[in-house]
Amino acid sequence: MSKPLITITNISKRYNQAHEYSLHNVSLEIMAGEKFGILGPNGAGKTTLISILCCIQKQTEGTYSYNLENLTHSTQSILGFVPQDFAFYEELTAIQNLEYFAALYNIPRKTITTRCMHVLQTLGLDTVARKKVRTFSGGMKRRLNLAIGIIHQPAILFLDEPTVGVDIQSKNAIITYLNELNAQGTTIIYTSHHLSEAEHFCNTIAIIDYGKIIACDSVEQLKEKHNAANLKEVLLELTGEGYRDNV
Amino acid sequence: MYKFLISFKKETIQFWQDKTGFTLMFIMPMILVFVMTMIQDSAFKLVENKQISLLVVNHDKGTYGDTLTTYLSNSGMFDIVANKTIQHADIQKQITNKTAIAAVYIPTDFSKKMLEKSKQTSSLLLTDFGVSQQKKEFKIIPSSVEFYNDPVLQENYCTSIMYMIQAQLQNLESKQMIAGIYNEMGITKIPKHVDENVQKNKITIDRKFSSGTTEQSIPSSSQHNVPAWTLFAMFFMVVSLGTNIVKERNSGTFLRLQTMPVHFSLIIISKQTLYMCIAILQVFIIFGIGMYAFPYVNLPELIFPSNILATFVVIAACGFTAVSYAMLIGILSKTEEQTNGFGAISIIIFAALGGIWVPNFIMPEMFQKISTISPLHWCIEAFYVLFLKQGNWSDLLKPLLVLLFFSIACQAIAYYTLYIRKKS
Repeated sequence: MSKPLITITNISKRYNQAHEYSLHNVSLEIMAGEKFGILGPNGAGKTTLISILCCIQKQTEGTYSYNLENLTHSTQSILGFVPQDFAFYEELTAIQNLEYFAALYNIPRKTITTRCMHVLQTLGLDTVARKKVRTFSGGMKRRLNLAIGIIHQPAILFLDEPTVGVDIQSKNAIITYLNELNAQGTTIIYTSHHLSEAEHFCNTIAIIDYGKIIACDSVEQLKEKHNAANLKEVLLELTGEGYRDNV
Repeated sequence: MYKFLISFKKETIQFWQDKTGFTLMFIMPMILVFVMTMIQDSAFKLVENKQISLLVVNHDKGTYGDTLTTYLSNSGMFDIVANKTIQHADIQKQITNKTAIAAVYIPTDFSKKMLEKSKQTSSLLLTDFGVSQQKKEFKIIPSSVEFYNDPVLQENYCTSIMYMIQAQLQNLESKQMIAGIYNEMGITKIPKHVDENVQKNKITIDRKFSSGTTEQSIPSSSQHNVPAWTLFAMFFMVVSLGTNIVKERNSGTFLRLQTMPVHFSLIIISKQTLYMCIAILQVFIIFGIGMYAFPYVNLPELIFPSNILATFVVIAACGFTAVSYAMLIGILSKTEEQTNGFGAISIIIFAALGGIWVPNFIMPEMFQKISTISPLHWCIEAFYVLFLKQGNWSDLLKPLLVLLFFSIACQAIAYYTLYIRKKS
């Protein structure tokens, strides 16, 4: 059996001045080439887990490791991150944004423009490459957000709600492209509230609630175990139907 | 290096499109420096090496009134507007109408009284010396010259003018007293050598400047306002840089940058470098206006200090202080509203306390002490050392050290805050 790409062992996280843990003894193994979904209600700990794996935050307890061969640069150089918020500069054009982030990812100066134009073309943004991002529609911004996350061809791509608030055309383009990336060998770790999208996109799903992993299996296995027709029913059974209003 | 250059380029594009920041940092100070210099120019002219317009209303029926007028004119302090036709009751009106900012009224019996007084003094002296047998008789002879002033003139300034008039009166009195002595002795005219001795052979005051030089830059409205409003504009970068930092942090960009193989200090340093360049550019533009545009609108030209290196060091120190403060506010603020509100208000308070609006030395003593908490106070002090006091490096040491300490403190708190946030 092959070695997991990411091994998470008993990770816990408690924020300063918080009484409760946001993550509690989370252990997971994510295999190379997987499309791994992390699902759960609001405030369950999905974003905190991704933040720790992306080196944004430090865990209070536990460890995690990336098992990559030929890792010549820092761990961060093989990670791609697409946050839920638009993480770019609206005052800049699409190509200026991409060139800036590409340079920070250590992409050689000579190849930056070619690489950026290629990614923009792939996501259907090449015709607006030199337009200010503030003039873009929601779908265009979402695609640019993704483009920046993959400009350095990461081995592992973290996606936090990558299709929230976009039209069906942009959503389709994004999912199609993510499948292509995965087929080329990129491991994808994905969170979403679009359960049907997650059901069709992911191979493996981890369901997290109150900072704990309450289920982790393939989509089919989860449905079978819980005798559910779809992922929505699985999630409601595991997490309940009560509101999760944190005040 | 490429990462730094592209970050610098990105910051430049962002600043170029920040219309509010651009207006606050370039357009506002250009307007302010013109308006404030023009407003303060007339007040500064009073203390410059220029003559004070003095209306002399001479109603004296003798000749001493004219002599006093000549003495006042020869003193070099006044631009005399002599008028014998203005009525005594109308002098106040002439001041209100801005004929002059001060006036002297010489009464009709001025010569008569002056003669009487000198005669009495010389007679008393000669009796005491045994030269004359006249009976000692002393009586007070009231005689007064009236002084009028514009209410805008400060009290100490009026006192100086009155002292000058008094000095000229004493000059005249002394001369008449000696003339009286000679007259009593039967000599009708004071010998030339005695007259010259009285008039010219006086003890002089040799003026020395605190800077140790023999000449001093004359404080003008430009020498104060140009550096002062440049500093004000420089510190207003808190709105632009602070907003830039808050915006980056509140969008997902800050998170994304943390996941990238780049140290966040590089991003911060590229921001600081750009804003340092902007601060230096502000100085070039606003000082350029003071040096080359002011003379065209009849404002005093800004005289650039002779010590170019020291001036550049002071500009850099002030720029770095402004950048450090703006960065601190940006990092501590949670929203753009906080940065804009607190940042702008704090700069206005620092400016008011620091002596940007009115020079620090005319503030009450308590405020002079409080003003030392304002970084703008130390910035303007450093500029004063160069622009007004012709000071040297040792004079600059204290303000530069304070600015350095303030900047390091701001930077340290800012980086520590970032570190704590990441850790939590």
